[in-house]
Amino acid sequence: MSAMRVDAKVVMLGKESVGKTSLVERYVHHRFLVGPYQNTIGAAFVAKPIQVGDKVITLGIWDTAGSERYEAMSRIYYRGARAAIVCYDLTDSSSFQRARFWVKELQNCEEHCKIYLCGTKNDMIEADRSLRQIDYHDAQDFAEEIGAQHFETSSKSGNNVDELFHKVAEDYNNNAFQYMTAEDTGVDLGQKKDSYFYSCCHN
Amino acid sequence: MDGEGQRAAASWENGTLAPVDRLRSERADSPTPGLVEGTEPGAGQKSAMFVHAQSFEDLTAEAEEEARRETELDKSGECADDLKALEEQHSNDVSSEARTKEEDVSSEAWRSHRKHVFVLSEAGKPIYTRYGTEEALSSTMGVMMALVSFVEAEKNIIRSIHADGCKVVFLTKSPLVLVGVSRTCQSDKELLRELQYIYYQIVSLLTLTQLNHIFQHKQNYDLRRLLAGSEYLTDNLLHRLDRDPGLLLSAVTCLPLPSSSRDVVSSSLQAAKSKSLVFSILLAGDRLVTLVRKKDQFLHHIDLHLVFNLVGSSSSFREGEGWTPICLPKFNTAGFFHAHISYLEPASELCLILVSTDREDFFNMSDCKKRFLERLSKRTAYTALKEALKCPSYSVAQVGIPELRHFLYKSKSSGLYTSPEFPEVYQSDEEQERLMGLYQDLHSCLHHPTRPLRSFYRCSESENLLAWVTSGFELYLCFSPLGTKALAVSAVTKLLKWIRKEEDRLFILSPLTY
Ligand SMILES: Nc1nc2c(ncn2[C@@H]2O[C@H](COP(=O)(O)OP(=O)(O)OP(=O)(O)O)[C@@H](O)[C@H]2O)c(=O)[nH]1
Ligand SMILES: [Mg+2]
Repeated sequence: MSAMRVDAKVVMLGKESVGKTSLVERYVHHRFLVGPYQNTIGAAFVAKPIQVGDKVITLGIWDTAGSERYEAMSRIYYRGARAAIVCYDLTDSSSFQRARFWVKELQNCEEHCKIYLCGTKNDMIEADRSLRQIDYHDAQDFAEEIGAQHFETSSKSGNNVDELFHKVAEDYNNNAFQYMTAEDTGVDLGQKKDSYFYSCCHN
Repeated sequence: MDGEGQRAAASWENGTLAPVDRLRSERADSPTPGLVEGTEPGAGQKSAMFVHAQSFEDLTAEAEEEARRETELDKSGECADDLKALEEQHSNDVSSEARTKEEDVSSEAWRSHRKHVFVLSEAGKPIYTRYGTEEALSSTMGVMMALVSFVEAEKNIIRSIHADGCKVVFLTKSPLVLVGVSRTCQSDKELLRELQYIYYQIVSLLTLTQLNHIFQHKQNYDLRRLLAGSEYLTDNLLHRLDRDPGLLLSAVTCLPLPSSSRDVVSSSLQAAKSKSLVFSILLAGDRLVTLVRKKDQFLHHIDLHLVFNLVGSSSSFREGEGWTPICLPKFNTAGFFHAHISYLEPASELCLILVSTDREDFFNMSDCKKRFLERLSKRTAYTALKEALKCPSYSVAQVGIPELRHFLYKSKSSGLYTSPEFPEVYQSDEEQERLMGLYQDLHSCLHHPTRPLRSFYRCSESENLLAWVTSGFELYLCFSPLGTKALAVSAVTKLLKWIRKEEDRLFILSPLTY
């Protein structure tokens, strides 16, 4: 078994229960789990290869726990990330405040990390428009202000989920060359030296 | 305690015990095991895996207080009025905003729960309640806090109140106060032990250092903010305390597996080491397959149970690889370890937990797991292990004592116990909890702080019970009510012989270190 190589580190951030795990679950396993909500504990890592043009790029996705308990720990999860999917729940305005917090944190600590603002649970809005608490245009304006991409997704129906991750991989692919020449090492900044390519270096 | 454990293990390594192979043959020759620690069935051959601990090490440290408590019990009459107030308070606690999915705390149903557990801060802020919501209970908690401070002001530490078939037990562990309200016949000590577990559960999520820090800065802090999403861990731990003999016995149980296979699994795990790795634990559901530890580092059974609870309560580790901070409070209340948690295969019961000291070491741990799995999957032991998963327990009928319904056997030196599956007569949840309650009673008698018993026989309408403790083991047996005492006593020898014969399979006889 040869270990998997990870090209781009992607981190999922956002208030608890906004649907980070469900997004990953939908994208990686093409399913939506019903049943009682299970908080993520700490964080979970999963590597997922994705075809971009004629290339295969492996995303190393960190699904973090939204609980404040892990806030102090969050740096280890987003450090060196090339992309952050900052999630908020379209039906919960407080989750958007939390998204702003994460955006600020990333802007301060991780300037090379591209931000993807993601409004979740779109299916609920479609079923009942009155549930919407975050206006599409407000979020869009905020995204433009911070130079982020903006998506509204549903993990339940699968709406826009593949598009989101595909965009992440595509952007990585388009920027990768630029990074390689810009950085003398060719390995992501701030990433522990041998951990990123932990396997290819060994073999 | 920790020091003692290490001394005990060290003396074994120095060879005060017979060499392994001689011990082996002696084991086979003398089926009636020594009553001496280290030679009982299930005792490890070289060194123990766990900190060598008495069941109640936390509480015996407070032995003087125990004595004081005895005298305090006489005062419980005084407190009964306060308790009444407490109970009345419940009925006034109708909160208009009580969430609909939650229980109505003014209801009869809420009050009739067998065991309530509350956690509050020293400032009286609610932190956790087993039933209902903390908001709805804030005035109840206020009364509790008033009780605690009232008694403390008089330089007494309030430990328990008995009234109306109801026991209220307090455990003050600054900065937290834990309160148990029980209608069971459990002793105060058993209830305190359970509260202790809940305390450690909370510490394992936050560390004691962080807890102290928070409350030093803000006495009024609402800790629920930080514990959000972890309530189900505490709920589950309480459920386990009612049902899991391991928590009662301060021991863990193993997946039955031929020792030849277990040894291969252990050595594969041993080979997958890394600098920051302290413990590698392989679980099959709630059962230990093997545990490899860094030399000189011992795990405490309480910490291991907290790990079991974390893994067992959450499906969130099912996918991908988990990486989470965890404090092992009996090891060190000040800091976090980082645990790499993953299942060996997607739908498998086998869960590997790699405990590292370095929070940056995720990819190294991930690599250790890969190496372990690579090595193991080439060997037939892996097939044997998967086969063993199909029968994780055994029937008491295998022992061949017709009157014997169920038993718990703990080898003290290894900290491991074995027990058959529940028989037909104890199939329902209520019956199983009732049986566990009986075992808890026996356990209380054997570990009474001032008048401990070596053995104990009790007949009742529905079963006969026998408990026996030596320096090497603890044994609890449950017989059909038709048996006699003589029969029970002779069954012990027979059972010990059987356990000796099966110990290769039921216990981890040769634990490894890296
Ligand atoms: N209707 C609907 N429900 C969703 C959707 N995504 C998530 N949910 C529900 O929202 C709850 C929380 O989802 P999770 O994915 O576990 O949330 P999380 O962000 O990972 O939460 P933490 O791990 O605690 O940080 C679950 O009950 C999901 O079923 C969605 O797209 N549509
Ligand atoms: Mg999650």
